Amino acid sequence: MTTRTTRRAGLAVVATVATAALFAACSPGEGVDVDGSGEGGSGDAGGILVAAIAGEPDQLDPQSTSSYFSFQVLENVFDTLVAPDENLVMQPALAESWEISDDQLTWTFTLRDDVTWHDGTAFDADDVVYSYRRIMDEELASSWRFAAVEDVSATDERTVVITVTNPSPNLLASIGGYKGVAIVQQENVESGEITTQPVGTGPFELSAYSSGERIELVAHEEHWGGAPHLDGVTFQFIPEPTTALAALAAGEIDWTDSVPPQQVGSLMEDSSIDIAQVGSNDYWYLATNQANPPFDDVRVRQAIAYAIDRDAITEATMYGNATVNQTAIPVSSAWYTEYDTYSLDTARASDLLDEAGVDDLTIDLMVTADYPETVTAAQVIESQLAEVGIAVEIRSLDFGTWLDEQGQGNWDMLMLGWLGNIDPDDFYYGQHHTDGPNNYQGYSNPEVDDLLDAGRTETDEQARQEIYAEAATQIADDASYIYLYNPAVVQTWSPDVVGYVARGDRAIRFADVSLDR
Amino acid sequence: MAFVLRRVGHSLVVLLGVTVVVFALVHLVPGDPVRIAMGTRYDPDVYAALREASGLDRPLLEQYVAYLGSALTGDLGVSFRSGEPVTTILLSRLPATVSLAVAGLVVALVVAFPLGVYSALHHGKASDVIVRIVSQVGVSVPDFWMAMLLILLFSSTLGWLPPSGYVPLTEDPVEWARRVAMPAVTLGLVAGSIMTRYIRSSVLEVLGADHVRTAESKGLRERVVLGRHVVRNALVPVLTIVGVQLATMLGGVIVVEVVFAWPGLGRLVLDAVAARDYPVVQGAVLLVAAMFLLVNLVVDLLYARVDPRIKVSR
Repeated sequence: MTTRTTRRAGLAVVATVATAALFAACSPGEGVDVDGSGEGGSGDAGGILVAAIAGEPDQLDPQSTSSYFSFQVLENVFDTLVAPDENLVMQPALAESWEISDDQLTWTFTLRDDVTWHDGTAFDADDVVYSYRRIMDEELASSWRFAAVEDVSATDERTVVITVTNPSPNLLASIGGYKGVAIVQQENVESGEITTQPVGTGPFELSAYSSGERIELVAHEEHWGGAPHLDGVTFQFIPEPTTALAALAAGEIDWTDSVPPQQVGSLMEDSSIDIAQVGSNDYWYLATNQANPPFDDVRVRQAIAYAIDRDAITEATMYGNATVNQTAIPVSSAWYTEYDTYSLDTARASDLLDEAGVDDLTIDLMVTADYPETVTAAQVIESQLAEVGIAVEIRSLDFGTWLDEQGQGNWDMLMLGWLGNIDPDDFYYGQHHTDGPNNYQGYSNPEVDDLLDAGRTETDEQARQEIYAEAATQIADDASYIYLYNPAVVQTWSPDVVGYVARGDRAIRFADVSLDR
Repeated sequence: MAFVLRRVGHSLVVLLGVTVVVFALVHLVPGDPVRIAMGTRYDPDVYAALREASGLDRPLLEQYVAYLGSALTGDLGVSFRSGEPVTTILLSRLPATVSLAVAGLVVALVVAFPLGVYSALHHGKASDVIVRIVSQVGVSVPDFWMAMLLILLFSSTLGWLPPSGYVPLTEDPVEWARRVAMPAVTLGLVAGSIMTRYIRSSVLEVLGADHVRTAESKGLRERVVLGRHVVRNALVPVLTIVGVQLATMLGGVIVVEVVFAWPGLGRLVLDAVAARDYPVVQGAVLLVAAMFLLVNLVVDLLYARVDPRIKVSR
């Protein structure tokens, strides 16, 4: 059995599927060019786009890394069989088409025949089989995505057959949702060079890497999607947002996602740059340890859900760059379920506590400075819960210790986020199924278990939607998680950059971008 | 010569002590470093392989001897994160750190020397008070704030200098100078303010000494008195503080490197600590300690040159 690996905020950040990424704003009169400036072709002006990212990748093997900085770069270096478009709907990539057997258990993918690796060798079905086997056999970070996969095989050079143990409506999302499931080259992996000199099939290939400074990519002219417009992309590591913004203003860089939330407002007014604020599928939540009384009592959990002011927490942590939500899935998603039971109501919270026979409650709230929003939110939560007579003792730990404490159950309440959710199954199963690998809060509701099991195999989209709406509502009613907000993705770039689209899945793609200067 | 050998011997003993501390670092940290470094990517096979590769499954003394042996041959292990040799990683960061430290020291000396001497010569006058206040402010200003102000002024407002990035001196000296300017000024103003105060008090002390009065009463010209009799004698205590400042800058200056995206040792250590990449942390601490000792050794040898009595007294 494969274990579903923990994917916590910032550890593995990734993709989202859902329709309609939401463009909240872009600079006045600047309109975001959604379509790129034209079809692929090398006749464009070219140039090197310089992007500033806030940190350095830990390594460049997409299947092994868990660093978002790595994925920002590797998004442009590697390909997946299918890939989400900007509305987060899966589109053909290395696979040009696929068929599903009548029993829904066999998926047959036909690969493109014009794909070459960056080193010039030809790509074929064996590469796909090798890549997926590696993830499953070595139980790499994304092996949980292959939990339902029974076998992967190549029937000829261009055909890959994936068999699954039960109908898996989320298979495309699992094999295309993010670059952690990218197709890698066996030779590159076995030589060990993939960690520093990766060979991919993507639109750009690695040309230089200066530790602490930058990674340089050059266009892969033979890319199956057509040669990129740019000659190359340089990723510079600039940890300090103020410096990144000054560099953008000075024309030293062309793009950055290093934007302090408190400055978004003033940057929106700045007509010399383009800025986008896009709803993401990430969510942040509070959880209480249901193994510790009185949190086993649903009324106590509900009391906390009524006593906190999500708007105030969101304002304090994100300066408004987030959307308050009482369930996990954001309003921009096709899987969104309307739910607003817990509006701030301290009287109701006090009543619930009385009914549960709880007074003089002191909660240990575990947060980590590695995710500063948890520290900020904790102070707001402390004062809000004081209103209903609950004392909060904030305990700030480094993230490693935090994870250990969570695993060992040494906590009353915690706050954290989940990033990179694609399918509704990602949002709920691991966290709220009785046997879910990330159900650290010890929630168990047989009805919810049945719904989450059914959702995994239901292939009718409408029926699946209803299943997850019901599950989401029940989970929120039971306050298994007390949901807070969905943060926005904020990125800014020079007006010279044409055709760039900020995406809700935080994938940074420069294949269709060009420079006009 | 015996003095030099003795000083080199001292440094080597201290360095040996540093290796013990660096080695103990991994064992003092609570928990299993390999397990922690792997985090959520835990895999029993990879874990066993990493543990074996890092030798953590062997007896402590054996591990230390092995560590010392390979460190002597320049092998500091491989990074937990990237699998690259630690020595390669450190060497790639060294030019940026050394060139920034030297540039910072030059700025500091250029500021501190004239100001310190001037202030001492005008002891008690308004100009002395002003220098003392300015240097006090310089010592107190947080470096990240100074760095931000410089970026806002010279990059954002005036557009004269690039706010970040590094170009090797050997590749393009002009571009290097443009990019090192603001980080070097940030470092240099803080270090220079500290040095100004030392130079001032040191010069003041010598000015009051008997030999200076004698020199003056001999009718020597003021410039000769100042150059030959005052400054030279004032240099000894100043050398110490200059050495300490240089050694500190060579150890990597995290805040300045972070703000200016300078690829030096400070950021390397910061990233490595955050990722619990112990081989890199160990290697960097060892390198920084070695540089510190080297600078101090050079300072000590310079003492002996400036003041021959030091050789005898030790």
